[in-house]
Amino acid sequence: MAGMSGKRLQKELAKIQGVLPPGISLVSAEDLREWQMDLIVPDNPIYPPDEEYRLRFHFSANYPIEAPEVVFMLLSNPERKIPMHPHIYSNGIICLDLLDKQGWSPVHNVESVCISIQSMLASNTKAERPPGDAEFVRSNRSRPRDINFLYHDPTV
Amino acid sequence: MASYQADQLKEQGNAAFRNGEYLEAEALYTQAVQKYSRNPLIYTNRANVRLKLQQWDGVVNDCSKSIEITGANAQNHKAWYVLAQGQLGLHHPNEALTSALTAYDQVLHPQPTAKISAKDLETFSAFVLKCKKAKFAARDLGRLRRQGDLRAELETMLETQRQRDLDEVTTQLRRSQLGNIEASERSQEITTTLDDKITSLRTVFAAADPANHKAREVPDYVIDMITFEPMHDPVMTKNGHSYERATIYEHLKRSPTDPLTRDPLTIRDLRPNFGLRAACEAFWDSGASEWIADWS
Repeated sequence: MAGMSGKRLQKELAKIQGVLPPGISLVSAEDLREWQMDLIVPDNPIYPPDEEYRLRFHFSANYPIEAPEVVFMLLSNPERKIPMHPHIYSNGIICLDLLDKQGWSPVHNVESVCISIQSMLASNTKAERPPGDAEFVRSNRSRPRDINFLYHDPTV
Repeated sequence: MASYQADQLKEQGNAAFRNGEYLEAEALYTQAVQKYSRNPLIYTNRANVRLKLQQWDGVVNDCSKSIEITGANAQNHKAWYVLAQGQLGLHHPNEALTSALTAYDQVLHPQPTAKISAKDLETFSAFVLKCKKAKFAARDLGRLRRQGDLRAELETMLETQRQRDLDEVTTQLRRSQLGNIEASERSQEITTTLDDKITSLRTVFAAADPANHKAREVPDYVIDMITFEPMHDPVMTKNGHSYERATIYEHLKRSPTDPLTRDPLTIRDLRPNFGLRAACEAFWDSGASEWIADWS
């Protein structure tokens, strides 16, 4: 319901302009339905402390009942790369159970999603792409929410 | 025979309504009831068109007629919902709330043969909340004015001005000096401008006199964790957390799991939370709407 997402996003925006956890910042939310956040990963040599990563959040009219679509963005000005991680494809698509239909819960919010992604990166030890990354990036036409990822590596 | 002709006219009215031809639809429904005056649906449909035409008195009359035909205790949730909207338009929020609660109750406990849309519970629940906010805002403003509160007096003046401007739009619409879409846009603009002015006014008063005008804290237990709105019909899960009924129903439709623990959860597992409901009511009663900083 358009009403539900509107009110909820307005309130989240008001809250997020207050205090955020370290390493997470709001870049823009001019369009209430599309936000951008910057992320820094603490204490992990794979991710230099001065390298920031850009997340794009897209909300449907049914948010928060439906999960937002969250992807990393590749930018040149300012420079933003896609972080290396066995669950992050080089086109920015993220393989995280919390972001898909089964794992999402409406009590999550933008801040908690950012924290989860930050923590996923912070605890990572393998600086690599998922198997089949090149093929996936070349042939994928589906929106992230429609992709059925098989989570076969719970150690990451 | 007459009722068949009336049905034909009603269908034509429905088609006109879907095309946005509201005056045409109203005329067709009027012809329909002249042929046969005992079909409650025709009155409900005409009331719905009159909402678009902002003819609030007409809305209330038609809905009342529809409810009179079916009987006040019989299933007629659409009429009660449209009635609530008309009453809100007439600035009778107490009555609007009663009607909205009736509509909500009727879709929550429908007759076996009732035709309920999937979105009805959610829509009606959100509307109950809207009526509550209107009711308590009006009541609290009235009380403050009687106490001689300057801010309340200024707000009332702004509200009166808004009503004058909206009535002007309605008059122009009826005289066909304005199209439907334009009228709707102007009304929206008037309302938004007024809301901004009231927010500015409150900000100024809060800055000048922080002790008396600071924003009230809305306690967490009043707020639904999913919509971030105050609750009116909270239900509780096995682990003791409560959500607005319509909201958790929407969630369970897509994912029959507890939002916090992800354990399996169905509608049957939910229990009404009367204690919390009473606490939410008490919160409205305490004059909380006085400073609706984050509620509008």
